[in-house]
Amino acid sequence: MSNAPSPRVLLAKTGLDGHWRGVTLVAQALRDAGFEVVLAGMARAEQIARMAADEDVALIGLNIGGHIEVVERILDALAAEVPDIPVFAGGIIPPWMVERLATRGVEAYPPGSSLADIVTAATRLTATAAA
Amino acid sequence: MAAHDHRSHCTISGIPLAACYGADDIPPTARAAVASSPGAAPYLRGAYPAMYRERPWRIFQLSGFGNPADENQRIRFLLGQGEHGFIMEHDRNTADHLYDVDHPEVLARREDVGLTGAVIMGVRDYETVLDGIALDKTYGHPGGGVVQHAPFALSCYWTVARRRGIPFDQLSGTGQSDYFLTYLGCIPKQQVPTRAGLRLCSDIIEFCAEHLPRWVPVSIAGYNGADTGLNAWQELGATFANAIEFLDDVRARGRIPLEQAARGVGGVSFRVAMDFFEEIAKLRVARKLWSCLLRERYGITDERAARLRIHVVTAGSAMTYQQPLNNLVRGTLMGLAAVLGGVQSLGVSGYDEALSIPSEHAHQMSLRIQQVMQHEANLTAVADPLGGSYFIESLGAALEEKARGFIAEIEAQGGFLASLDSGWLHKRAEQNQLALFDDIESGARTVVGVNDFKHDQSPFAIDGFRGSSDAFEQASRRLAELRRTRHQRATDCALKALASTCRGDGNVMPAMMAAVDADATVGEIGAVFRDCFGDWHIPIAM
Repeated sequence: MSNAPSPRVLLAKTGLDGHWRGVTLVAQALRDAGFEVVLAGMARAEQIARMAADEDVALIGLNIGGHIEVVERILDALAAEVPDIPVFAGGIIPPWMVERLATRGVEAYPPGSSLADIVTAATRLTATAAA
Repeated sequence: MAAHDHRSHCTISGIPLAACYGADDIPPTARAAVASSPGAAPYLRGAYPAMYRERPWRIFQLSGFGNPADENQRIRFLLGQGEHGFIMEHDRNTADHLYDVDHPEVLARREDVGLTGAVIMGVRDYETVLDGIALDKTYGHPGGGVVQHAPFALSCYWTVARRRGIPFDQLSGTGQSDYFLTYLGCIPKQQVPTRAGLRLCSDIIEFCAEHLPRWVPVSIAGYNGADTGLNAWQELGATFANAIEFLDDVRARGRIPLEQAARGVGGVSFRVAMDFFEEIAKLRVARKLWSCLLRERYGITDERAARLRIHVVTAGSAMTYQQPLNNLVRGTLMGLAAVLGGVQSLGVSGYDEALSIPSEHAHQMSLRIQQVMQHEANLTAVADPLGGSYFIESLGAALEEKARGFIAEIEAQGGFLASLDSGWLHKRAEQNQLALFDDIESGARTVVGVNDFKHDQSPFAIDGFRGSSDAFEQASRRLAELRRTRHQRATDCALKALASTCRGDGNVMPAMMAAVDADATVGEIGAVFRDCFGDWHIPIAM
């Protein structure tokens, strides 16, 4: 494990909302746990897909602050371009949206989620993808 | 258990707490202010002598979503329910960025349009939002929280008033142009640099000094600094470091008396979060700091300038996703701290804050919390009821000392704008965030329903407000209609005049008023700003 390169995680914001506290906290927690984090900022669907491929990431985290349709458009682009990279999500995600994301295989971590749980999920998702 | 952890014997900002306080805990330097009266310098004990007895705090809530007509309806609902003024919220995609609804960045997220506030393309949309609202009798906040959006938002509101024949000197309300929102807490993807923003703010301050004596031109929102992570004394220090930057600029321009500018800058907002006594002490000492700062730095003693007026918004970040009805209790506690600290207006955040923008019911409950405080609890009869408390006065003195230290730290960075340009202030906020989260993760700090007391029967589960679904389509239709029916040559001329003013050093507000009156759109104004002022380089990765 110690010789293995750190898995890379891409974190992107789906909306044009520049609140950065949540993303920064998650990025720091992932770095502390040995992940390499690439930050994409407020990026569009095709930009997120391209960055995920170019940066060769093992996991994509979406910071959601808006409507489900915008998120689903991004998920469609990712499914088409980088189908093997798992996706998880955090942000202002009401319960109904958590359920809808689950149907697309996306785990959601709304406000109040523990950083330890987020790190555990990242470890599990990158391990599963690598297997 | 958490309650016995040593950290609970500090305030959230880290000031150690004794088990009990006595007269000796009030430092000698603080005693003259403690012995003063409410309404008298240095205003520690209140901005006005009789406080709420004569001037109950204004119930002042944020509201807005979807289409201009939706926002109009929600504002009228709130005014009908007893709100005393209104704050317009705008769509973040278009307003904060100065993009029209057909800008590529907006098109890529079309379903998000209208989520955080009404979509407003030009003055015609303002007419719809303000329909049926008596602008000469209502205290208004037309939006413009983001610095580059403020000149447009204010111009639209004032133009609607002018078209209705209301003289400017009868308009009362407030602008915002908040640096903490724009450059620290909620950073747009594209915006004018901090220095250009300062010029826009000074233009607004001078325009109001000349034409709108009852209008608060800019309102520094320490709230947004605090909800990004600044602690109580950092919030105070950074707020006043920002005010210093405004006043120094107005003084250097030399166009209006500095007292007048200080009056305009002296209407601020703070956050009140869950550390009950620290927040009370903070609001009281904020007034003292402001009046001392004006006297010490600028020699200003004019009481209308030296009397800081405070709006409080309760901390959105304190509202939890889990067990959301608990947030009604949090809203009440934070609101009560604000009232005891002495405020001119108050907004209580919605109990569904962590799930969505407020539903109509959440908005109504925020009003009801305030109405119960105003009418049932006998809180309004006596000014500064906690004045002289050994504990509160001692804590206030500690906060004042630390806030002064933080102003000095910011000045050592080259001033408030420089501390934003370099990302220094962002780092300070982030450090606190990480520490707070560590405490919550480890259980050193308890958040009910989140990391303890998690069993929830959920009889009142809520689902989050979904807003309206046709804001993008409606805005696109209105934009096309606007472009088709306006006097294009007049619009072009006005935009050209605006650009030429921006490139020179004249006040942009008259040219902005003319552009808005000629039906220029928010995106066209943005194009002029981007062309003339360029972009700010965001100093942090996100």
